[in-house]
Amino acid sequence: MRYAFYLGCATPVKALKYEISARNLARSLGIELIDIPEFGCCGFPVKSMDSFAAILMAARNLAIAEEKGMDIIGVCTGCTAILSEAKEYLEDEKLREKVNGKLKALGVKEYRGRVKIKHFARFLYEDYKPDRIRDKITTPLASLEFGIHYGCHYMKPTPAHGQFDDPANPFTIDDLINITGAKTVNYPNKNLCCGLTIMGTDEDLSFKLAAEKLECLSGKGVDAMVVACPSCCIAYENNQKLVGKKTGKEFSLPVLYFTQVIGLAMGLSEKDLGFEFNRIKADDLLQ
Amino acid sequence: MYSYLLDKEKLKCCYQCGKCSSGCDINRLDGSFQPHRLLHLIGMGATDKVLKIDSLWKCTTCFTCSERCPQGVKITEILWLTRAFAFKSGCIPELAVIQRDTLLKSGRLMPVDNKKREKAGLPAITEESDVAAQIFKIAEEKEQIL
Ligand code: SF4
Ligand code: SF4
Repeated sequence: MRYAFYLGCATPVKALKYEISARNLARSLGIELIDIPEFGCCGFPVKSMDSFAAILMAARNLAIAEEKGMDIIGVCTGCTAILSEAKEYLEDEKLREKVNGKLKALGVKEYRGRVKIKHFARFLYEDYKPDRIRDKITTPLASLEFGIHYGCHYMKPTPAHGQFDDPANPFTIDDLINITGAKTVNYPNKNLCCGLTIMGTDEDLSFKLAAEKLECLSGKGVDAMVVACPSCCIAYENNQKLVGKKTGKEFSLPVLYFTQVIGLAMGLSEKDLGFEFNRIKADDLLQ
Repeated sequence: MYSYLLDKEKLKCCYQCGKCSSGCDINRLDGSFQPHRLLHLIGMGATDKVLKIDSLWKCTTCFTCSERCPQGVKITEILWLTRAFAFKSGCIPELAVIQRDTLLKSGRLMPVDNKKREKAGLPAITEESDVAAQIFKIAEEKEQIL
């Protein structure tokens, strides 16, 4: 099982605990994540600047993976959504021809539309299969309760991702976490956006969104929020104090990546799961 | 190029039911942001006006509206594309300019700190940094869409 590992820009800079835990979890499961030095920006930020440049960026990455004969596994929901969307648009032959014409100038062979893109959690759910992970659980987390935040781009837009999950009532990451023995709660604003994409353009609105979910999950008394995207983690963990200050509230909710939780239940060490980088310490939970 | 998104026929499918706005959390928190109104203006061809509307940049791109629309209008995509036109015409928030300059300089939105990565036991990242700049340049040689 060899896959092109699409890291994106946020994870290797702002989410080292995610990268460390994803790499080590994959290793323990026998999944080979291959680093591709040629990968560049997925095109997400560029979409607000130049839509054609954005699709070129995405297509270039797809073509590079295709040339190497590998499907893509991503860890950022934004990257996987943008790459999947590009794949959807590039089914249009005219557009693909036009894009391929430009790819040549970038020294990349043509993109033929064959590469598959999946978020790591989706891959575990759909391809690796929860049952195979279950066999590897050595330290069940039966006493713990989590609130999952999926991240909008994890399963939306559905025309690009397909219907592997239900945007109105998402369940795939809940299922993955449940096999560790931990419980997951249902909560009213489970589908609320983290708001990070507008932090730079409208901080007030962005923080209001983040505060609503932090407040709801804190009220539920969960041990932690579980996320699957570096941007969501920045919104809920890195910004947590600031969000509290700006909205007149006080939060102390640990935020973990799904890779850290599954890894814990498989007996991986705190070091191998990057827990030293958790800003809101999850010591109670680790005991 | 993306043309079907901004296709007038497709935009005509919007019958202004407002379901996009009523499910939008940004609209709930800030009533001045109404995706169905923006779509109406775009559909009417009032492009110049739309490009100058600040709230264009309030959309989080959560795709909730696109999933809800009974007519299958790709609302999020249309707003996103419209932003790119706003960008080209200079109606842009400062952040977008900073982001573009960072991308042009380093090829990524967040420059890598390989020393920190090494300390954490992670491999160095050595991607070519001028790819983004090259792509911006190549993309310029294209016809106008809107
Ligand atoms: S939900 Fe669809 S049809 Fe209704 S107003 Fe919005 S875009 Fe138009
Ligand atoms: S994508 Fe934008 S307009 Fe649509 S629901 Fe989300 S924030 Fe509102």
